[in-house]
Amino acid sequence: MKPENAIEVHNISKKFKVYLDKGRTLKERTLFKSRRRYEEREVLKGVSFEVKKGEAIGLIGHNGCGKSTTLKMLTKIMYPDSGTIEMSGRVSSLIELGAGFHPDMSGRENIYINASIFGLTKKEIDDRIDDIIDFSELEDFIDNPVRTYSSGMYMRLAFSVAISVDADILLIDEILAVGDMAFQAKCFNRLRQIKSEGTTIVIVSHSLSQIEQICDRSIWIHEGVVRMDGSPYDVDPEYMRFMSDTSLASAKEKANEKQAEEEAKENEESSENNENTEAAAEGNSSEGESEENGETKEEKEEKKPEDSKRWGSKEIVMKKVTVLDKDGNESKVFYNTDPVRIKIDYVNKAKIDGTVVGIAIYRDDKVHIYGTNTLIDISKLLPLKEEGTIILDIERIPVNAGLYIFDLAFHKPDGFNYDFWRDVFRLEIKNIKSEVGEISLVHTWKTDED
Amino acid sequence: MIKRIKEIYEYRTMISSLVKRDLKGRYKGSVLGFLWTFINPLFQLLIYTFVFSIVMRSGIEDYYMFLFVALIPWIFFSTCLAGGTNCVMGQKDMVKKIYFPREVLPLSFVISQFINMLLSFIVIFAVMLIMRYTFNPMAILCLIPVMITEFILALGFTFILSAVTVFFQDMQFIMGILTMAWQFLSPVMYSETMVPEQYRGIYLIVNPMAPIIIAYRDILYYHQVPALSTLLWALAMGVGLFFIGWFAFDRMQRHFAEEM
Repeated sequence: MKPENAIEVHNISKKFKVYLDKGRTLKERTLFKSRRRYEEREVLKGVSFEVKKGEAIGLIGHNGCGKSTTLKMLTKIMYPDSGTIEMSGRVSSLIELGAGFHPDMSGRENIYINASIFGLTKKEIDDRIDDIIDFSELEDFIDNPVRTYSSGMYMRLAFSVAISVDADILLIDEILAVGDMAFQAKCFNRLRQIKSEGTTIVIVSHSLSQIEQICDRSIWIHEGVVRMDGSPYDVDPEYMRFMSDTSLASAKEKANEKQAEEEAKENEESSENNENTEAAAEGNSSEGESEENGETKEEKEEKKPEDSKRWGSKEIVMKKVTVLDKDGNESKVFYNTDPVRIKIDYVNKAKIDGTVVGIAIYRDDKVHIYGTNTLIDISKLLPLKEEGTIILDIERIPVNAGLYIFDLAFHKPDGFNYDFWRDVFRLEIKNIKSEVGEISLVHTWKTDED
Repeated sequence: MIKRIKEIYEYRTMISSLVKRDLKGRYKGSVLGFLWTFINPLFQLLIYTFVFSIVMRSGIEDYYMFLFVALIPWIFFSTCLAGGTNCVMGQKDMVKKIYFPREVLPLSFVISQFINMLLSFIVIFAVMLIMRYTFNPMAILCLIPVMITEFILALGFTFILSAVTVFFQDMQFIMGILTMAWQFLSPVMYSETMVPEQYRGIYLIVNPMAPIIIAYRDILYYHQVPALSTLLWALAMGVGLFFIGWFAFDRMQRHFAEEM
């Protein structure tokens, strides 16, 4: 094992027996032996990757791709059929929250039980119990039985225990969607702090924004092999595009099936006239093709070479995005004290009532600087017309000088994208003063004499 | 193996908190709470006294005590056999999601049953004091190795049975029946001297619980130091079973999460 690595996974594979009719009881096992058929499903077909010490990586992939199985093997809940996993240091996993909680016991007693399952000794728990209670914000309820807690309180307590475990390697399985927004933000800050202390982190998640917030690297696992491994900024859009393509494809398939069924019905009805119907069917299909072609051409024209930077269902499409300065002229260069107006012209073909509009800003070294959306800002969907314009006014972009990349997205509250456009435009931000650091604070100095 | 023991030791707080959760959690919410731990055996004793001293008089003097000193250790053992089968499967959610040395589960189950037995013994001693029984300190001291022997034996069985149950869930029901049979094949309700002489030798060799129960009775009922030779045999069987059990458990535990 290389000294700079925290985790080395070499060519691991895993097969599961999927019983079609599993006999667990004696009767079933002896009498119906032939019935116990099973399929062997190869979940992992040789996955290899390395994680450096202090690095945070995200495992992404669709359901059943093997990412959770990989995590379970890192946790030593399961073992690979072949291949090896090497890890250095104390491993802790946040896969299950609230393990071993007893509803009739108090929050405090449950902290002890839960933390001990994570491998903490009594003394270690004594040392950090105040921090745990403090983090959970449950001081007033900590001696009440856990069954009196609301589900939000329950998860807060559970998460506070989990996050207090210190480890060299932390494995996390999409559990960050805990509690209210404020608590989520707190959890993320805590994770960032843990990361800055040098802990290696592996996260499995559906939510790419979670991964982008914290990870240095994304590993995309697809059908049991690593399909892509790189910075989240590069890997995540590829994955998103792949996902929306497949969901579109399956939607189209369904539509085709329906069409075929209808055609079949028609055929039955007009069985006298075979030749005609065949011709009609042909006509239908060629029409469909030409329509498809037309659509893709249109899209290509809009997207140009940034094909891989844009994905979504295209029910709503950003037709044109312009950046305006305070005089209403288009510009790509701003001082960090200038107001910026972003104008988005959209076409809403599917006549969707409302959408979330989001923006993200990256520096050109792919550091995520800022992100917000209309759900966060005004906690409701933006009403849409069939065709219209949305304007985002930014008073100033208080960052230090540099080149900044802007992403825009129209999406549903659950994250389903209508149109996600990465790198829509880049702005050069200038700073009159030679300040240092990443941001530029609006500030004044004062002395006693003022 | 040393590494394994070390790791289990690192999880000692988990063992103790699982034991505590089991002992304290059992009677949580009831008015008398932890007192039930004592009330249960006390009332059992009262019922036996009533039945066997007044209704069904047997030839044995103080039969209720004769029975009780054997029944308490037997209940410990039989709970491990019947209930212990489920101690891994019952914590399915934990086993599927969290890493910890799996031995912790059977270990903490057996420990918590063992503590229950110790608490019942407090009741026995209290009754013995009240009834002005004589104590033989030398014999009482022998209680320690006897208990350790029984503990090791119970742990060995719990290791095997709890692991097998994950793959084969009928085990818990099979054990329910076997345990009952085993009770009647052990000198719990009768004295081993009632076993026909030609069978007695094999009776003591095949059944490791027989010498253990006889030892308990020797100490607490007859107030004498138990015969060490048969007890040593029980200890040898216990240790053997413990290692076989642990080995089997270790082999099977790798597949627990997939099977559940």
